[in-house]
Amino acid sequence: MLRNLLALRQVTQRTISTTSRRHFENKVSEKQKLFQEDNGIPVHLKGGTSDALLYRLTMALTLGGTVYAIYQLAMASFPKKQN
Amino acid sequence: MTHQTHAYHMVNPSPWPLTGALSALLLTSGLAMWFHYNTLTLLYLGLLTNMLTMYQWWRDIVREGTYQGHHTPIVQKGLRYGMILFIVSEVFFFAGFFWAFYHSSLVPTHDLGGCWPPTGIIPLNPLEVPLLNTSVLLASGVSITWAHHSLMEGKRNNMNQALLITIGLGVYFTALQASEYLETSFSISDGIYGSTFFMATGFHGLHVIIGSTFLMVCLLRQLKYHFTSKHHFGFEAAAWYWHF
Repeated sequence: MLRNLLALRQVTQRTISTTSRRHFENKVSEKQKLFQEDNGIPVHLKGGTSDALLYRLTMALTLGGTVYAIYQLAMASFPKKQN
Repeated sequence: MTHQTHAYHMVNPSPWPLTGALSALLLTSGLAMWFHYNTLTLLYLGLLTNMLTMYQWWRDIVREGTYQGHHTPIVQKGLRYGMILFIVSEVFFFAGFFWAFYHSSLVPTHDLGGCWPPTGIIPLNPLEVPLLNTSVLLASGVSITWAHHSLMEGKRNNMNQALLITIGLGVYFTALQASEYLETSFSISDGIYGSTFFMATGFHGLHVIIGSTFLMVCLLRQLKYHFTSKHHFGFEAAAWYWHF
């Protein structure tokens, strides 16, 4: 039973160390290839679909918020008389 | 095929200056709505769009430098000037708060009791947690210098460790300072003492949080192999900011 426990310890150690090594491998050259592709896409969208989604979300929130701010300004500019 | 025959960086058109400016509108109008109408929606929108803009703008700069190679020596020189000028502007920002403190504390007025601390104020003991905080930040200056030298010498593990220690010390400072804030018997509205204390330490604390965040981004980039022993301006900018 003790031998099984020792084996388990070795397996988990090996798995954890390889997993963290996989996460922190040097992937810079792959990124360089992706972002240097001659496709005319601007840098803020060149990463892929998630770039476009995040851009659209940001723009929607910003423009929507601006309209909302101007609306609040209009409301605040004409105070409602209370009885 | 067309290509540039100079070493400068002609940036792609970007939406982030617009979203950044609009987020500033939402932040300011959001503050006004919070103060006068007790509603937080606009302010939250402003904070969110501000964070989104900062994330994507700086992400793009990393892409332009590390992945596209646009940060030539002359471009890096411009980035260095930019960071230096920004830090100088921050120095002047703090100069105001120091001026206010010394103006009031060196010549305390009659209505304060002619003394400093003013009558009725029970200050914190500067030789307790404040002194510990000083040593924490000084130590973090040592560890970040260790990190820089390790980076320049190609000692990867040392660099990772030293940077982690620096961040840890920054977080430790913030936690200690937050606990001190809960310990004070005075608040920001307790006369000129409260005002000068919380404005100066408050903005300082905010800068420690910003600096720690900048260092955390550097740690992430370092783990992803973005920095070389010769080219690591992002880290240098963070180190300058941290020392300031």
